[in-house]
Parts: sequence; structure tokens; C-alpha cells
Amino acid sequence: MGSNKIKAYYDEAYPPVPDATTLFWRKFLPWQLIRFVILNIKMIRIVAGGHS
Amino acid sequence: MAKVVVLGAGVAGHTCASFLKKKLGKHHEVVVVSPNSYYQWIPSNIWVGVGQMTIDQVRFQLKKVYDRWGIVFKQAKAIEIHPDEQYVTIEYTAGDNAGYTENVDYDYLVNATGPKLNFEATEGLGPDKNSYSVCTYSHAAHAWENLQESIRKMQAGQKQRFLIGTGHAMATCQGAAFEYILNVAYEISRRGLSNMAQITWISNEYELGDFGMGGAFVKRGGYITPTKVFTESLLAEYGINWIRRAGIYKVEPGKAYYENLDGEMLTQEFDFAMLIPSFSGVGLNAFDRSGADITDKMFAPNKFMKVDADYTAKPFDEWSANDWPAIYQNPLYKNVYAAGIAFAPPHPISKPMSSPNGRQIFPTPPRTGMPSGVMGKIVALNIAEQILGSHNEHHHKASMSRMGAACIVSAGFGSFDGLGASMTLFPVVPDWDKYPEWGRDMNYSVGEAGLAGHWLKVILHYLFFHKAKGYPFWWLIPE
Repeated sequence: MGSNKIKAYYDEAYPPVPDATTLFWRKFLPWQLIRFVILNIKMIRIVAGGHS
Repeated sequence: MAKVVVLGAGVAGHTCASFLKKKLGKHHEVVVVSPNSYYQWIPSNIWVGVGQMTIDQVRFQLKKVYDRWGIVFKQAKAIEIHPDEQYVTIEYTAGDNAGYTENVDYDYLVNATGPKLNFEATEGLGPDKNSYSVCTYSHAAHAWENLQESIRKMQAGQKQRFLIGTGHAMATCQGAAFEYILNVAYEISRRGLSNMAQITWISNEYELGDFGMGGAFVKRGGYITPTKVFTESLLAEYGINWIRRAGIYKVEPGKAYYENLDGEMLTQEFDFAMLIPSFSGVGLNAFDRSGADITDKMFAPNKFMKVDADYTAKPFDEWSANDWPAIYQNPLYKNVYAAGIAFAPPHPISKPMSSPNGRQIFPTPPRTGMPSGVMGKIVALNIAEQILGSHNEHHHKASMSRMGAACIVSAGFGSFDGLGASMTLFPVVPDWDKYPEWGRDMNYSVGEAGLAGHWLKVILHYLFFHKAKGYPFWWLIPE
């Protein structure tokens, strides 16, 4: 609702937003399967390292 | 035969009870006291709040599981602790005994009562008043009913204003509200209604991405990036605008009143508001042998239970990772423990901030599912080892300054069109002595968006239900 034609001078104009390539990689299944494995490994390491 | 009483059946209490029974077997008694008959997996309440899951998909009856495990279940709320005489007074909340009290004796007591949702701390806040909540499954279902009404209005051509975030100047749980706002934006976008909606994030954080942990840094796109950028980027992508450094102090129908850190008194109008309340302890009282009230000795002023933390008042610059507790044992009564949200943090993690008018506006520390589950487990293992005589000292430790956390914010529910924003960090409480550059171990940091995080979130829902229900090999699933 509402449009901001000038992309500056308000908070929402400054953060990076994904371009078409980034959006593609986010849903590209082979790459996401690899990321899924990496995320799982990182999580398991975090949980395992968090208590003794 | 020893008797362990666990107060509460949330993530910490249920995990604690399950490991106690697994370790102690039939020769010792485990009693769980909870005012609710259901276990609920709170992270999935978000999906109830946008109609992607039903209430029955995020809860199950505790008694059925406890009967199978041999745990005694009392549907009651604890009201008093008598640590000298080693009993708790409980009041039944359901069945023929509803309203009756009973004294339950113990050898070891675990307080895992979680938070009181302190809606009263903000005038007009809460599902019975002028805003919605996703803190329980019934709150989330109520929010979904009303979100549908807003969606119908937008479909009929009426623009709607959504306000989502923290409903108190010192509320925590920004992660849950953040996940909800992304889901709301996703559902609105999916229906082609984005041009009819103004969605606003409101938060007591100094900068977005603080999450009550003082923010964090993640490796992303070849840079080490503050979570502020990561968080703002996601909001901007979904067309969400934001208000930060805001302490809401009153909510009227359609209007939230807040003060910001500059001391400005402002308002924000809305048609739909989901605002997280502040938390406090549930309000247990403690009495010594003579009947004297010792609540202020066992509990902090916010009604959370004191444990093995360093509660000495210190300025922000002198806070240390070593201030945080590791075994969650009450310093006065060594057979009393507090796990999960029920323990009193030694101090915030985010830097305390005040407006010129003196209102404190900053998030209090988060204690999400993973740390709560880990605390519940190590408390159970330490108690079991003491009972079984294998260790008299506390062999198992889990400080939030030595423990990591993962936050997966998932929007959408399909296998191929959802979005998961995953953040991991280690440790939760930054340790600037050990990691002087970034406060945390950057090898454990992740900040990325994609289907992988979304899949993980969905899988975790089913895995944690498998674990909580005690299905085969449940103990192999980490907290």
C-alpha cells in the first residue's frame, strides 16, 4: 500500500534485496539439497557442542 | 526409591521428565505437574496462525504418553514451594478434582513452569482485548480467524493495515513475531493482495536483528554481516516497513501507543495486530519451615527462579559469559532446579536502553526451544546420576554462553515454494573474551535464505513430535 518512487530517504530503501540470480539459487533444488546437508551438519555440531 | 517432581510440561519440562524416566526406570518415581492436558510444539504455532496447520497438528495429550512411560501426571498448577519440608502445593485445573489443592512431596524438584504471558503489563494488549497473539495454539487459531477476516476485506477491495511485533518495551521472542510477519506477508502475497496491505514491523530492538541477543554477525555473500542487514533485507523483500526502538505501552482498538528511545510519544493505527507480550515467572511462592515467605530469596523480582548464575549487578561493559548458569541449581536448596524459561537470567544480553523519560526499551533474553530442551536434559541427567549414585557432582553442564542456537524462520508451507531464513550462532550469549572479534564463533554462523531452511523447519516439526511422543529411538534426536 503506498508507493515510493524515490529509492532513498526512508529505512526500507537501504537494505540489500535479492536479484533474480539469488532468487533462482534459493529454489534451485540441487543447490538447496547441498545447503540442506550443510545446514544439518552445522546444527548437529552446534547441538553436540552446546552441552557436556 | 526417589521421587522427582517436574513442574511444567513444555519443552524443558517434558524433555527433563522423559530423560529422568529413561535413566531412572521403574525403581524411582517421576511426577509431572502441568495445568494443561496437552503438550504443544510452540514453534509450529506460527503455522496455525496463518492457517497452514490445525491445532491438533501442533499438540498431543500428555497423559497418554506419560501412562506409557510410567510417569505420574497431575493436571494442576503449582502454587507454593516448601523447600525445607520438600513439598509443593498444587491446585488441580481439570477433572473432578478441579480447584482442589494437594501437597506433593519430592526428593528433587525441577521448576520448568515457563513464562507467564504478561499481557497485563501493557494496557489493552492481548487476545481478550485489542491485539492477537501466537504464544499458544489457541491464541494462534484465534489470530488466524481474524486474519482471514482481514483477507476477506482486502479481497472485497478494502485496504488493511497490519502491525506485528513486540507489545511491550521489554518483550522478547522477536523471532516468533518475525516469523509470523513473514508468513502473513507470504499469505497476502500468495493471494495477490500485496497492494491492498500495509504491513508494519514494530520492535523494541535498538536495531532489527537484535533478537534479544545483542544482534549477531553471520557470514553472507562474502562478507561478515550484522543480522540487522539480514533481517532488514528480508523485510524489504516482502514489502514490510518497520518501526524500531519502540516501547508499546497501550493498545486501543485499532491504535497502538508507543514511546521511542528519543522520548517521542507516537501512535500506529492498525486493522490487525499481533503483538508479543512481556514474560514473567508464573508467580510461584516459597515458604520456609516456619511459614515465612522466602519467595524473594528463591526468585528474582521478575518471578523467575534464581539458579547458579552471578546475579551481582554490573554495568553492561562488565557483563561476562561466566555470569550465566551451567547446571540450573538453586543456590539455597540444592535439590531444586529451574530449567528453560523458568530460570532467572543474570542480566539481559542486549544493551539496556532508556528513553529520556526513563522508560526502559530493549529486549530481554530469549530462551528458545533448543536451549530449553538442552537445559531440561542436563538437569535430568545430573539428577538421575545423583539418585543412582554414579556421580555426586554435576557432570553435565550447559551454559547459554557455551551453547549455540538455531533460528529458522520459515514462510509458506509447500515443498518447493516456501522460504526458510536460517540463522545459527554459537554461543547464544556472546563471549568477547573467547571470541574478541565478533563475540561468537564465526565457523558456526549461518545466515541464509532458501528452500533448505524451509525443509529443515518442516522436518524438525515432525522429528520433535516423534521425540516428544517417545516413539522408537526418540532419545537419538537431539534437542
